[in-house]
Amino acid sequence: MPRNLFLVGALALWCGHASAADFCPTVADSQNFGLQYQLQGAQQGNLQLLRSHAQTAYYNPDNGVGEWWDFKQASHPNFYRVFSQQQRRIDYYTGDLRTLNIHVSQTEIESFAANNLRQQLTLVGDGACADSQRYQGDYQGVHYELLWSNSLQLPLSLSTRRNDRTQQWQATAVLSGEQVTQQLQQWQQFTDTDYADIGDNETDPFLAQMINQGFVEHSEHAVYNSQGQPLQGAHQH
Amino acid sequence: MKLNAIVLAMTTALAALALTGCGDDGDTGAAGPAGQDGSTGENGRDYTAVNQWFVEGQATVSQASQRSVSDPAGKAKNVILFVGDGMGISTLTAARIYQGQQQGHSGEENRLSFETFPYSGLVKTYSANQQTPDSAPTMTAIVTGVKTKDGIIGIDDQAIRGNCASGQNQSVLSALQLAELAGMSTGVVSTARLTHATPAATYAHAVERNWEADSNMPQAAIDAGCTDIAAQLIDFPYGDGIEVALGGGRTYFMANGTTDPENGSNGRRNDGRDLTSEWTSKYSDSAYVWNREQFLAVDTRNVKHLLGLFENSHMQYEADRQDDVAGEPSLAEMTSRALDMLKQNDKGYFLMVEAGRIDHAHHAGNAARALQDTVALSEAVRVAMEKADDDTLILVTADHSHVFTIAGYPVRGNPILGLVRGVDDNGSASTTYSTDSNGMPYTTLGYANGPGFGFGNDPINSDSYRPDLNLYNVTDVNFRQEATVPMDSETHAGEDVAVYARGPGAQLVTGSVEQNMLFHVMNYAADLVNRAEANQQ
Ligand SMILES: [Zn+2]
Repeated sequence: MPRNLFLVGALALWCGHASAADFCPTVADSQNFGLQYQLQGAQQGNLQLLRSHAQTAYYNPDNGVGEWWDFKQASHPNFYRVFSQQQRRIDYYTGDLRTLNIHVSQTEIESFAANNLRQQLTLVGDGACADSQRYQGDYQGVHYELLWSNSLQLPLSLSTRRNDRTQQWQATAVLSGEQVTQQLQQWQQFTDTDYADIGDNETDPFLAQMINQGFVEHSEHAVYNSQGQPLQGAHQH
Repeated sequence: MKLNAIVLAMTTALAALALTGCGDDGDTGAAGPAGQDGSTGENGRDYTAVNQWFVEGQATVSQASQRSVSDPAGKAKNVILFVGDGMGISTLTAARIYQGQQQGHSGEENRLSFETFPYSGLVKTYSANQQTPDSAPTMTAIVTGVKTKDGIIGIDDQAIRGNCASGQNQSVLSALQLAELAGMSTGVVSTARLTHATPAATYAHAVERNWEADSNMPQAAIDAGCTDIAAQLIDFPYGDGIEVALGGGRTYFMANGTTDPENGSNGRRNDGRDLTSEWTSKYSDSAYVWNREQFLAVDTRNVKHLLGLFENSHMQYEADRQDDVAGEPSLAEMTSRALDMLKQNDKGYFLMVEAGRIDHAHHAGNAARALQDTVALSEAVRVAMEKADDDTLILVTADHSHVFTIAGYPVRGNPILGLVRGVDDNGSASTTYSTDSNGMPYTTLGYANGPGFGFGNDPINSDSYRPDLNLYNVTDVNFRQEATVPMDSETHAGEDVAVYARGPGAQLVTGSVEQNMLFHVMNYAADLVNRAEANQQ
């Protein structure tokens, strides 16, 4: 089914105010690094953004679930979902993504889904960190405050307020290029299955779980479940 | 919020439906309006001479009545077996309508190329241990004459899935292997990986269909003497080896540590073998190609053994083939050039052609891609009908069905991918869509289970618990049809599939038959076992 999800809507749950104590990351290679984010406010959670050139992954260290994009061929991205606890990986090819009606923007993936949002907001001045800028504004009933790193093209802090509900994503730590490379290499070694082959592997307990309980499709971004709650365990259904 | 909510921007468009013309095209494919004057006989004219339905039905019977065929064993010099993976009968009906509508007609009267074959039957697909099977036992039944258990390829049902020792000495011979033993030329063509269950059943023996490369096998199985499917294609010991092998699955033939030329992914062979170079060194006058340009440049008169691996995994869906990175041939192109090569053998040939991704599109709940791949199979069969000589038995069948259905009472010519629009009191197209008990429209095509259940956070009419399909472009190629039971992968179905036949021995294909009977039809028609034995003298 085509899904009517818009990026900005997806951010609507990130509510809160910009933190006074801004974290200013130092990154040696802006093409090969990771950033750890912490979600604060009404909900809590962690999310790592891993970046290695054309590859970007989001990994939830709390449940070991990750989503990994490879834009080496920008028009034909490869997408992988990784499940660290089971040491398994599901590979989605371009055709698979199309059957799932998934259309993806490399810029949005690489920007923590904030680049588009940034263009909806008003620049209000320089941030506390070097090479950073503060944006704010209201969009579709949500008030946003964004601290944007120009060098990383990523948010250092992103807070949202809808009614009286506030939340904040805050960058809290840098992962080194080696850590990122190692993580991606480890995922490369996981037992892999083509998404297209899941249906023919109903006797594989891991895949059967996916077939019967909607593990893949109805599972959420590593951060969220369908109510926008951060995932606490590997399986939320 | 879905897994991809954070990163996805999706568009929704209102469903735009345009009814195509409703003229009848008739059994012959000749376009023309339905006979009107006298069609009921009421105005005194003889409708039996002018009513299109009556006249064409009569002509079909007249043709059939002239058949009294009892082809002797061995009359077929060649055999071509087409398999649509997961191509159940509802898929055939929908694909036929889809193709007809693509050609500007109302669609229902269209015939896929093989629907013109003189003989057809129903095929019971259950496996030795499952009511609803997968492709491994079903294709084993079709090409060896023996039903086996799910997950098992080319080994009888004494074996236990995944247990190497249990399959030792239980192998069964396939029609392709017999053809090689008979000195015939052979070919395997698929849009899936060449190591995937359906093509694998023509040349390999494995107690586990997933043992496609050695890295997919447990060490115990390797130690016990079992070998992976890709290696079996290259080490194939029968006759002078397979002449044509075309499909996907490149990385299963590449050593770990080598990088795929198109996709950049890693080779899957822990044994370090480069099976593509082994192919070219094993056979003189051989070639290995991995993209369409190379493929079309092959000199089919002089190349005697051709290996083509066009994707690192499955080949593209037909809908996506045009923008493949390195370029892929169509199923029809592969069929055509395979026949160019195979026809050069005076002793005949056996060719298996699989449309391997109808199954995958259905598993994803994406009807449009399944229908397009079915039409692509029809085009491949058309090529074979044109190229094959009269001494060729052509079979077209499926390994199993899917829980795919054609629902409601749409008006004649209603877009097959569209919302159901019924007829009004006059029998003409209704001005509004048909609706469910909550007043919501629905599509003609749907699935009994699969990923199309609910729409996540998408627009849902909370009164009906169904999405408001007015808000979707339901005819879009990427639209995922609704499903009744939520599953992330839609499942196979257990009802019978169809088989179509033409050529010597085709008359044997009739009635309701066990799937393994199809091997015996091919064996009778082409006398494979006897020819194989005679060729050993
Ligand atoms: Zn299947």
